[in-house]
Order: sequence, then C-alpha cells, then structure tokens
Amino acid sequence: MDMRPVSSLLFALLEQQPDAERALTWLRQQLDLYRNQPTNAVFYRVFTAMPRFTGKAPVVVSDEMATALAEARPGFVLVDWTMDRLARVWWLLQYPSADREVYQRGITELFRAAEMNELVALYSALPVLEYPEDWRFQATEGVRNNIADVQAAIMLHNPYPAEQLDEAAWNQLVMKAFFIGKDVTQIQGLWARNNPRLQAILHDFAAERRAAGREVPEHLPKLMSDTIE
Amino acid sequence: MSSFLESIRGMKFFDMHVHMISRTTDDYQAMADAGIVAVLEPAFWLGQPRTGVDSFRDYYASLVGWERFRASQFGIRHYCTMGLNSKEANQEALAEQVMEILPLFIYKEGVVGIGEIGFDDQTPAEEKYYRAQLELAKEANLPVQVHTPHRDKKRGTTRSMDIAIEHGIDPGMVIIDHNNEETVREVLDRGFWAGFTIYPFTKMGNERMVEVVRQYGPDRIMINSAADWGISDPLAVPKTAALMKQNGISDEAIRLVTLENAVTAFAPSGQISLSDFDQPLTIDQSQRFNGSSVLRGGQAPRIDKDSTIIK
Repeated sequence: MDMRPVSSLLFALLEQQPDAERALTWLRQQLDLYRNQPTNAVFYRVFTAMPRFTGKAPVVVSDEMATALAEARPGFVLVDWTMDRLARVWWLLQYPSADREVYQRGITELFRAAEMNELVALYSALPVLEYPEDWRFQATEGVRNNIADVQAAIMLHNPYPAEQLDEAAWNQLVMKAFFIGKDVTQIQGLWARNNPRLQAILHDFAAERRAAGREVPEHLPKLMSDTIE
Repeated sequence: MSSFLESIRGMKFFDMHVHMISRTTDDYQAMADAGIVAVLEPAFWLGQPRTGVDSFRDYYASLVGWERFRASQFGIRHYCTMGLNSKEANQEALAEQVMEILPLFIYKEGVVGIGEIGFDDQTPAEEKYYRAQLELAKEANLPVQVHTPHRDKKRGTTRSMDIAIEHGIDPGMVIIDHNNEETVREVLDRGFWAGFTIYPFTKMGNERMVEVVRQYGPDRIMINSAADWGISDPLAVPKTAALMKQNGISDEAIRLVTLENAVTAFAPSGQISLSDFDQPLTIDQSQRFNGSSVLRGGQAPRIDKDSTIIK
C-alpha cells in the first residue's frame, strides 16, 4: 500500500492543531536535516526527542480528516492521540523503506530501546508501516506487554491485529483484553474474527470466574455464544 | 498506621535516589502512603555482574518503561539518571559497548541526568568512563549524579569534583551523592549539590542527618534512601523528615532537603519541575491505572494488608 497520502494527511493534521507552530518548524528542520544526513542516529534522536518539541496536548481530529484518513488507510482511526504520538507516527513514515531488511532492522531497533510512550506510537504505527506481514511477531509482543497504554495501542482501535494475526495470536489478544479489563468493543474485527476455539477458551474462562466468585466480563457471554458464520 | 506518619501528614517528598527495580509493590504502596510523590532511580549495578550489552539495554529500557509505569500505578512519578556505573566500568570490553548504546537512552522522557557515575575502586578504567560520561553530560546539557566510593571516600570525593571541574562542568550541574560529615563541607564550599543517603550500617543514620542540616542549613542539601536489594529502607526520607520535625527543624527547611532542592538540581534536564507535582498523575493520558500484571483486570488497586482473607 502506498503510504504517502497517509503521511501527507498526518502532517496536515499536525498543521491543524492549535499552537503547533514551534513543533512544525522543528519537524520541517529535522526532515531537511535527515534528508541531507540519512543516518539512524539522526532518525532515532528525532523520534526520541519528539515530546520536547511537540508537547503532549490531545489531538483534535475533524470529521473531514477522519474520513480522509479512513479512505487513505481503511480502519486507521486516531482515538485519544496526543501530539507526540501523532508526530512520531508521521516521522516513522519518513523512514526509507526501499530495502526491506534495512527497514525492518531499523524500525526493530526503535522497539528494542523504546520507553512506554514510544512503544505506544510504534504499535499505533503498525497499520501504516511497510511490509505489514513483517510485524506479526512484534504485534504479539505488544499483546504480551505489561504497560496499560502499550496494550491499548495494539489491542484497541487498531486494524493491524485483525488483518495480520493468525488465529492463535488473535485469540490470545481477545482473551488478554478480557483478562486485563479492556473495553473489548474497541477491538477492531472482534465479531468478524470470532471462532470456535476462541469461544471454547471464553467458555472455560467464564466458568473459572464463576467458580472463583468473580464477575464474568461484559460482552463475554455474547461473544462466547454468538453464531459463527 | 505508623506514628511517624502522623507528624508529616500532608508533606510531599522526592526520594532522589532509590533502586525501585529491587523493590516490591508493597514498598510502592507504603511510600505513597508516607507522602512520597516522586522517585529518582539512578542506573546502577544489580548485585550480579552483567555479562552482555543486551542486559544493559534491557535494564535501561526498564528504567524508562516498566518501572515508570509501575510507579505511576501508585501515583508516584518516576525519574531516572542513565549511566554506566563505576563497578561495571572495570569490564572494559563490555563498557565500550555500553557507551555506544547510552546515547540512545539519555534523551528519553523522564531522564533527568547522567548517573550514577564516579568511583568505586578508583581504578584507571573507572576514571576513563567517568570522564567519558562527563563529556556526554556536557554535550547533552544534563546534570550529573555522582556516586562516591565507600572505601577511601574522602579522597575519592575530592577527586570526583576535581575531574568534573577539569572537564569544564559547572558545579551547579553536579550532585555529589552519599556524603557524610567528613565530605560535606568541601562539597558545599566548592558549589556542588550534596546528596545524603540514609542507609543503615554503611551510610548515614538519620539522627546524624538532623545534625548536618542543623549545622549547614538546608541550602544545596538533599536526602535519599538509596534503597536497593540490600538491607535498606524505602521510607528513609519521610522518616528523616519526621525526625527533623521532632527536633525543631523548620517545615521550610525540611521541604528543601526532602523535595525542592533535588527538583531544582535536576531541572536543567527540562524533564522535571515543581509544577509537575501539583497536577494529579492520573490526568496524564499515558498513565492510566487500568490493567497490568500488577493490577489484574478489575482488581481494586488497594488491598487490605491486615486481613487474612485474600480475594
């Protein structure tokens, strides 16, 4: 998929935010610098330093922008994003992708040294990264993560898992979302990817909860008993 | 309810040196209950020597990742200083690799300086990496948190300050830690910040600390627990505040040495300010309390420690 339109839209969205002038000036400068000096050191520094220049104000997305983004990349929605997250995802789209191996290695290094807000941005970016099938294992690592917002970034409002994860990994994502008390209605593809194995797992989990005298999570009974086409 | 808590109720504390990676959630809960609103975790060794650079990478990542999140669940802000500690600087081949990855971490959110660095055994290798990291701090314009040695302490402390000045670092950007009655005068006279560690048996006791504050006043002095995997006390800062209060030290002086001075010292990093503490942690989007292995789905964040029933 050609991600250049998404990149342009994300930058336009940055431009639409109030008081973004300082951030925009800095981002333009860094992009020029990176184009003249395309090293990982420069790319990583900009990625990490982002909140110092963009701040962390909530991003306001107009209806027109939401529609345009969904047309450019189906399922790509920005719910409760902050300026640093938006700018980081835009910045990731500036990483050269011509060489698949170099691309995968370069982005993976960012995952390996990431702090929690960087991880949120990285997992949010999975739907717009090149070579989508190369990030399947990384997506399962996001589900395994222990930090609430990192889990949310991969599980909720993200089209990538439903598109790319195999059945076992998908079932693990849904089951873990129930287990840690996420709002599962925010999982993209929840109903479309329902399957008998998942239903069996949910069935056992519900029984375990009842045996322990604990509540069964909302929406679980419906997903467990929904007719699968 | 411990009685010392009563006398300091409502006060806020910043433990500017504590190794939370070695502590339990019970400690976090007790620290929050005692008024600790922020902690600073300097990168140090783990008791067990590391043998590969990836162990350092994961440790550094946990200081800005998992540990920050863990602290936030108890309403505590977590900051850190990044560095190669003096003990492990002696494994030179590994130290070289660690120096290569350090720049990846020093600009992360919540990193307020380079530390804890300095001398342990005072070997040539320790000196080499202390100097290299002073240069890194200078380049990044970050404060430096200096660990002073247990053995040959006085000379080691003087030498640490001499070298920092030799590298053109402003003493106001350097926190000399683990002071005692023998080192404090020179540290303050030369314009450095003086950290004191309340740690049983090997460092300061808090009765001695009260006397130090009485004698030198609260300027440029700050107190920490350096609690870690040894016999130590994560409540050392609030306990010392209570003891100071009991001994007639003013609330303002207590506030300076248990909170404000440390914030001022690390503020040049741009990652910490007093106004941060006025905002509740929960308003930060990135730090919600829901869901993690610490607080599994729906479990109330608080458990009754006195009850024999566990639900």
